[in-house]
Amino acid sequence: SFIIEERSFMPCEDLLYGRMSFKGFNPEIEKLMIQMNSRSKEEEIEVDDKMEADVSDEEMARRYETLVGTIGKKFLRKRDQRVLQGEDEDGNSNTRPSKKAKKKFLKPQD
Amino acid sequence: GGGGGGGGGGAYWVDSQQKRYVPVKGDHVIGIVTAKTGDVFKLDVGGSEQASLSYLAFEGATKRNRPNVQVGDLIYGQFLVANKDMEPEMVCIDSSGRSSGMGIIGQDGFLFKVSLGLIRKLLAPKCEIIQELSQLYPFELVLGMNGRIWVKAKTVQQTLIIVNILEACEYMTAEQRKQALAKLSGN
Repeated sequence: SFIIEERSFMPCEDLLYGRMSFKGFNPEIEKLMIQMNSRSKEEEIEVDDKMEADVSDEEMARRYETLVGTIGKKFLRKRDQRVLQGEDEDGNSNTRPSKKAKKKFLKPQD
Repeated sequence: GGGGGGGGGGAYWVDSQQKRYVPVKGDHVIGIVTAKTGDVFKLDVGGSEQASLSYLAFEGATKRNRPNVQVGDLIYGQFLVANKDMEPEMVCIDSSGRSSGMGIIGQDGFLFKVSLGLIRKLLAPKCEIIQELSQLYPFELVLGMNGRIWVKAKTVQQTLIIVNILEACEYMTAEQRKQALAKLSGN
């Protein structure tokens, strides 16, 4: 038989979502209202291409530039880290005696 | 009285005045927590039986992170199981695990009952009553398919005005309603 029994009224009358808010009383619910009701009507929801960002794109790029270096340093072997430190201290080498970055292996003297 | 309707997809339904709510799978209702036993809450949904609600059926709930539900709280949820052979079961998450607005309804506000027919009228798209009320002042509304409505506005007076209008909608004509609202907007 092709008759299906349905006990709910929802598919019959295209009812809206039961939680509502007006004039900004509960902004989360108002957002939800738009979402839920357009889902049932199958309207196209406007997609925000540009979401409000806390950090601008430029700042993000600047941070990433330095971030890559910082994280990269973590994965260097200890010897290479000391080399890097040596490079950083080059500016101060006039005032301080520069330490040798790489200690050479000293052969034990017989 | 009764009436029939024909839907677009060949659906037919009989519309009638119904006082007593019967739980239906998928319906969103307002329940009142009556008991908290171990892992399960018992809710009064206005039907012949109480509904059960597991504490895990909330968004982000785990065995360690239990939702803060107390006896007397109001819950907006949907029926997962509802048939004449079993105790009705409610959940506050949808099929993808998101709360979608379901869960504990906040403090304050006012809960009251109306007929099931009025709920369907209020939930109809472009309902005039809702559109007119939304012009009055900011407020929040939850409509349960079980005939329960919860309203919250900024002041107790505003809340009660909305409650009275919604209750009176059962018997007021559209004209009477518009007059009542016009008087209110004038204030």
